[in-house]
Amino acid sequence: MTTLRISGGRVFDPANGVDGAVQDVTVRDGRIAAIDSRERVDEEIDASGCIVMAGGIDLHSHIGGGKVNLARLLLPELQRQQVLRSSAVELPSCGGCAPGTLATGYRYAEMGYTSAFEPAMVGANARQAHLEMGDVPILDHGAYVMLGNDELMLQWLAEGADPQQLRDYVGWTIHATKAMGVKVVNPAGISAFKFNQRKLDVDEPHVHWQITPRQVIAALARAVHELGLAHPLHIHASNLGAAGNIASTLATIAALDGLRGHLTHVQFHSYGTEGPKKFSSAALALAEAVNAHPNVSIDVGQILFGQTVTASGDTMRQHANAGYASPRKWVGADIEANAGCGVLPFRYREQSYVNALQWSIGLELFLLVNDPWRIVLTTDHPNGAPFTSYPHLIRLLMDKPFRDEQLARLHPEVAAQSALREIQRELTLSEIAIMTRAAPARLLGLADRGQLGVGAAADVAVYREQADAEAMFSSPLLVLKDGEPVVRQGRVIATPVGGVHFAQVEFDAAIEDRVARATHDHPLGVHRRYAVIGHDELCACCNRGRLLPSAFEAQAL
Amino acid sequence: MTAMNPSSSTAAGQAMAWTCPFCCLLCDDLQVRMFAIPGALCLAGGECREAAEALAAWGDAGAPLSARPARIGASAATIADAVQAAAERLSQWRQPLFGGLGTDVAGARALYRLAARTGAICDHAAGRALMHGVRALQDRGAFTTTLIELRSRADLIVCAGTAPNGALPGLWRRLGRDGPGPADRRIVYLHADAPDGTQAKGIRQGPDLLADLQMLAAAVQRPPDALPAAAQGTPIAELATALRAARYAVFVWEAAALPAEPSDAGALVVETIHRIVNHLNLHTRAAMFGLGGADGALAVNHTFTWLAGVPLRSRIAADALQHDPWRFDAQRLIERGAVDGLLWISSFRADQPPPASDLPKIVLGPLAMAPAVDASAVFIPVATPGIDAPGHLFRTDSVVAVPLEPLFASELPGVDAVISRIHEAMT
Repeated sequence: MTTLRISGGRVFDPANGVDGAVQDVTVRDGRIAAIDSRERVDEEIDASGCIVMAGGIDLHSHIGGGKVNLARLLLPELQRQQVLRSSAVELPSCGGCAPGTLATGYRYAEMGYTSAFEPAMVGANARQAHLEMGDVPILDHGAYVMLGNDELMLQWLAEGADPQQLRDYVGWTIHATKAMGVKVVNPAGISAFKFNQRKLDVDEPHVHWQITPRQVIAALARAVHELGLAHPLHIHASNLGAAGNIASTLATIAALDGLRGHLTHVQFHSYGTEGPKKFSSAALALAEAVNAHPNVSIDVGQILFGQTVTASGDTMRQHANAGYASPRKWVGADIEANAGCGVLPFRYREQSYVNALQWSIGLELFLLVNDPWRIVLTTDHPNGAPFTSYPHLIRLLMDKPFRDEQLARLHPEVAAQSALREIQRELTLSEIAIMTRAAPARLLGLADRGQLGVGAAADVAVYREQADAEAMFSSPLLVLKDGEPVVRQGRVIATPVGGVHFAQVEFDAAIEDRVARATHDHPLGVHRRYAVIGHDELCACCNRGRLLPSAFEAQAL
Repeated sequence: MTAMNPSSSTAAGQAMAWTCPFCCLLCDDLQVRMFAIPGALCLAGGECREAAEALAAWGDAGAPLSARPARIGASAATIADAVQAAAERLSQWRQPLFGGLGTDVAGARALYRLAARTGAICDHAAGRALMHGVRALQDRGAFTTTLIELRSRADLIVCAGTAPNGALPGLWRRLGRDGPGPADRRIVYLHADAPDGTQAKGIRQGPDLLADLQMLAAAVQRPPDALPAAAQGTPIAELATALRAARYAVFVWEAAALPAEPSDAGALVVETIHRIVNHLNLHTRAAMFGLGGADGALAVNHTFTWLAGVPLRSRIAADALQHDPWRFDAQRLIERGAVDGLLWISSFRADQPPPASDLPKIVLGPLAMAPAVDASAVFIPVATPGIDAPGHLFRTDSVVAVPLEPLFASELPGVDAVISRIHEAMT
């Protein structure tokens, strides 16, 4: 039995209503426990002058799967500049915008994060996603499987399939790929691009299947609801990056028809067409829609300036933007009648009107949405910026003078007109704890994570309190993963293997035969006898990490 | 995963579903029979000559293992003693080379840790072929497609410099397996001979594949009547017209069929194909489909890339992680004496012993490789994923990770286990 007490720190645990109170956090055998203050423990941590939070949870970060590896392959010139010095516990690995899986785990832990979720797992590439995530040390992980561009679902929708059949198919796909949730990317658009369609609005029919994105969203949101999944349908809406796409984003919210949906990297989907450059912020319109729709949650996908690489399932939109690649090269792929991908390096520049406005739009969204439980802090790593920029982003949100200073450096028209100038709000530590811990845990149904109540997993981050929030969140005094110290004084000291979260859902098993027949015995790219990743194989893929299933019960509409 | 031991004691066992680990297609629609005596394996159907030959090479697969199946120099040894000798040898080398790398994802994971411990340079036996695609991707990117897209969508397939029927007999079988695909599909062989008995067309216009592709790249960018008079009406010009009219054109290329010298010639071919595909994608749809990456080349390259952030032909060291697709060519390093020891891994091929050299060696391979390994080496026999071990390999399109299951339980350890034990013995 191992026990540990973190004493004297100000605790921010919004899930349990604790907002900065000085109190002990005690741990027994990897769990938060109630240990009397007089009882001796194996280790006492003096956290006076510190703040204490649950370990950070990133619910949208591209940490594993084919397109991330393509990004690494594509950019040796950047990777070479980012070789990290290894240590007694760290193996060699490149950092930067497309870090190796090893560096991904080390650097997340060094910011106090203990879980990250890959949001765009291709069904036919699920094994690779799990293999890669299994090689991300320290962090627990999981993935959302992409649906809504697989020809089978589009065909069934076009044939007017029974919603129950679609629900069973979605359930079987989650089961087969060991997914934690379901994502749709540019609904029907990735498939449409394979048929040479270059644009698809929410009510525009797919050139071959004659179904619309609205139908795809409605069907998937219903299936996710009926399966009882904790995480709502994760939606990368239509027309990513296009001026005026706020219309599609609002139409996508309407397409949910009151069912739950999580709109991801909304910064890239909140653009108007006003002003001389026909490109403007629609952050207010989106924030108002989110405030008015309690069924909707979002993450932001903030951009920050500098070099990064965008890795997306959205082949249609990445192809449209290929001319902006910097360095000037990109990778695209059509995948297994199932999905697609596009990987495009990009440099966000302060003096670019569009990039400066994107920066402003993201921050406006953070500050205009009222309910912090429905907005999650992300940069859509690496698409808006590498996850290592989170401490900087947190400072921008918590520190109005710092934000103004940064704004003044941007393209002059943006600096002069941005709505940010008038927004006085500074997020509190409690709100940061919600957006980076408690809210993502709740949105994923992780009852024992993102909080510090008795019985919760002892994923804990202790930061030295200081006025500069960026410095504070860059280098924690201590990070515990399931009770084990993994970071001390900002450096990784242990690299346990993380666990893998996946959803267990109920569905009619007869769907498997139907899927196999419709795919000539090769669903998801492999023979049907391998279509389902079993528990033993998942465990082997994930480097013998713990299996963390969440069971969900089917529910009626 | 469960081992599928045939329970039958008759001469020929039941046919067992099998995924073949021996070429880059990783066909999962084959069946194998194992003969109880003497334990030989054979393909139950006649679908693939290559797979049949690879299985035949396995010989007495099920025969009991001797107590001393390994070798230290000329002497038979237990695996434990050979592991110890390997660890001692490896710790003396100042610049080890990890070559061959014929293993799966689990083997690659173990090798990465050992490389980091020893500062090893790592390259695959087919590194030169692998690097054609890697270098083209690094320089210009790519637009690729996968097997099922190719099968279901391609109305025009251009085999550039290859007639894949030879080395990869499974390809056309799999493309035709589930129906013919588009009814109007055409296949064109560019700077390659169309196989006998097919309707397909072969085109050779310039002195080599690159020249033909460069002419094609120029021709797809303009209407036929805007071409120079001498180029109008040529087979290349006709192909350009057909490509522009196709709904989904796919260029098939084969890494092993590209020129190895000069060292950038292969990458230039791939890059030129990519340029054509990119241009076509402005108005219609097109993609490229590469063949290659067998014997774990893709699996190990993928695994090293995700762990390190850079692909193979890298030096994995605590003080410096270096990647150079030209400088870290294993064959060249050996020829120039730039390394002082070779750890050679070939778990799929008994007929692929390390290249001849005076370097001290540690060799991991199938039992049947032993006679071909020099008498000075430490030799440790290992199991083969898909025969007597489980594993994961990546199919040629680089997207689908295919699980492999053992046909029978083995006494031999896998590459991952042996490498981990060598690593432990060093610390």
